[in-house]
Amino acid sequence: MSPNDLKYHKEHTWARIKGKKATIGITHYAQESLGDIVYLELPEVDTEVDKDAGIAEIESTKATSPIIAPVSGKIIEVNEELSESPEIINEDPYEKGWIAVIEMSNTKEIEELLDPKDYDKYVEEEAK
Amino acid sequence: MAEKRLIILGAGPGGYVAAIRAAQLGAKVTVIEDTEVGGTCLNRGCIPTKALIASAEAIDKINRAEEYGIDIKGEVSFNLSKIIERKNKVVAIQVKGIRSLFKSWGIELLEGRGKIKDVNKVDVALKDGSNKTAEGDNIIIATGSRPARLPIFPFDGKDVITSDEALNITEIPKSVLIVGAGVIGCEFAFILKELGAEVTIVEMLSHAVATEDEEISEILERELKKRKIKLILNTKIEKIERGSEGSLTAVLSDGKQIKTEKVLVSIGRALNTENIGIEELGIKKGKKGEIEVNNRMETNVKGIYAIGDVVGGIMLAHVASTEGIVAAENIMGHSREIDYNIVPAGIFTMPEIGSVGLREKQANEKGMDIKVGRFQFRGLGKAHAMGEIAGMAKIIADAKTDKVLGLHIIGAHAADLVHEGAVAMKLGAKVKDIANTIHAHPTLSEAIMEASEDLHKMAIHLPKP
Repeated sequence: MSPNDLKYHKEHTWARIKGKKATIGITHYAQESLGDIVYLELPEVDTEVDKDAGIAEIESTKATSPIIAPVSGKIIEVNEELSESPEIINEDPYEKGWIAVIEMSNTKEIEELLDPKDYDKYVEEEAK
Repeated sequence: MAEKRLIILGAGPGGYVAAIRAAQLGAKVTVIEDTEVGGTCLNRGCIPTKALIASAEAIDKINRAEEYGIDIKGEVSFNLSKIIERKNKVVAIQVKGIRSLFKSWGIELLEGRGKIKDVNKVDVALKDGSNKTAEGDNIIIATGSRPARLPIFPFDGKDVITSDEALNITEIPKSVLIVGAGVIGCEFAFILKELGAEVTIVEMLSHAVATEDEEISEILERELKKRKIKLILNTKIEKIERGSEGSLTAVLSDGKQIKTEKVLVSIGRALNTENIGIEELGIKKGKKGEIEVNNRMETNVKGIYAIGDVVGGIMLAHVASTEGIVAAENIMGHSREIDYNIVPAGIFTMPEIGSVGLREKQANEKGMDIKVGRFQFRGLGKAHAMGEIAGMAKIIADAKTDKVLGLHIIGAHAADLVHEGAVAMKLGAKVKDIANTIHAHPTLSEAIMEASEDLHKMAIHLPKP
C-alpha cells in the first residue's frame, strides 16, 4: 500500500532517507483527508526544524493543517513548484509532491518512524 | 444661567464629536483647526486608506475574474491618478459633511493654530494671517498625533515617506520597504502590492500586527506570504543609505542589506503637544509625553480637558470620539467616566481583521482560566460561495462563568462581524448565548456561532475530534 522505500510519521508525513538527507512530504491518507490543496506555506531554506514540530502550514478547501517534521535537522531544499501548483501534492504525494529536504541532525530518529506496514495498520485504526 | 462657552483645539474625530455633543447639550462651541476638519482620521488615516483599499480589492477581484467564470478579453489596467482622485472625492464629501454639521449646530470654526493663554483664553493665529482670541469657560485639547519620524530615517517626502505622503503617491514604486508591520504598515503593504510594487516589511517585534491575538497574526503572516509580500520579523533598520543613482539601501540589524526604491516608515505616531501652551499652564504630561487625564478626561488644570491621541492610550478614532463625548458631557454638568474594556478594532488588510476584548496570551498572563473556541471560514458554505475562504473566528470565554472575554476574527467582513462580540461583552453574555442565538444561513456570522459551539466541543460542522 504505502511505498516500501519510505518511513512514516504518525502525523502522516513520510521520509525518504539517503545518507544524512531526508526528503519529506505528506502521505496519500493526508492529502485525501485534506481534499483539494490550495496553498502550501513552504518552509525557508536554512531553517532548523525539530522532529514532531510543525514546519509549514498546508491549506485545502476544507481545512488548514500543520506539516509535522518526521526528523530534526536543517531544511536544505524546498520544492518551489508547489508554491504555484500545490495541487501536485494531491496528484502525486510521494514523488512530484515532495515538500522539502532535511539534513538530519540525529539519524537515530529514523528508528522512531513507522515502517510502511505499521503505518498502513495505524491509518486503518484511525479511519475506524 | 449664562450659556457655557467651550473652546476645542482640534477638529478630528475627538474634537468635532465633542463639539457636537456639547452643542447638543446647550454649549456655545468654538473649534480651532489648523489643517482640516476631520483630522487625521478623515484626511490622512482611516477614510483615505479605506478608499485605497477598496480600489486594491477591486484590482484583486479583477485579477481573479477567471475563478468566478469571467473571461476578460484585452488588457485591464488601472489609473493611479484616478484612484487617488477617487480617494480625494470620498474625503471631500466627508469634510463637507462635518462642516455642514458644525453650521447646523451653530459651532464656530476658527481655521488656524491655537495656543492656550490661560484656562479661559486661547490665542488663534488664523490662516489668513490675522489673530483672534477665543474666550471660554472650558477648554478641550484634541490636537491628535502625526506619523513618528525617527532621525535615522532620511525623510524627503519623496522616497523616504510616511503614511501622509503614501496617500498621495503619483507613481507606483517598483519596490518599497515598509518599516513596521503594525496596522498602518500591513494595510499599505496590501495596497502597494496590489498596485504592482514589490513589497518588503521589516518589523522589530516577533509578529505582524503584534497587538492582535497571536493566532490572528499568524494567519495574516501567511496571507502576506501568499501575496509574495516579504516579511522580516525580529529585525530593526540600522540605517538607510542613499546611493549615487538615487537608490536606497537599508541596513538591517542582522547585517543584511535591502536595496529599494522607496521606504515607507510606519513605526508609530508622535503626539501633537508642542507649542499649544501645555508647559506654560503647567499641564501634566506622562512618561511618553502624553497629556495625563483621569477617567473623566480632566487634566490636572481645572477646567481643561484632553482627549484622543494626545492622551496616548488606545489611539483609535472611535476611542477619541467616545472620550470627546465623555469630556463634553462632564463639562455640561453630567457625570461620566470612560470605560476602555470593550473597544473593538478593525484592520483592513486582505483579509480583514476584527477584534474585541482579551487576546488569549493576555488572558493567560493574567492567570485566567479560559476556554477557547475556533471555526475556520473555509468551513462555511458562504465563504466558499464568495470565493473568500481564508480566515477564522476565535472566541474566548471565562471557563467558570462562560462569559465572553474576547472575539477575534480574520476573514471577509471581519471588522463588521466582530461587533457581535462587543455587544455580547457589553451585556455580560455567555458564549452559550451566542451559540443559542439563531444565525442566518448562509452568512459569515455562522463562523462566530460555530466557534461558540466549538468552545463547548459541540460544533455541528466540525468532525469528531
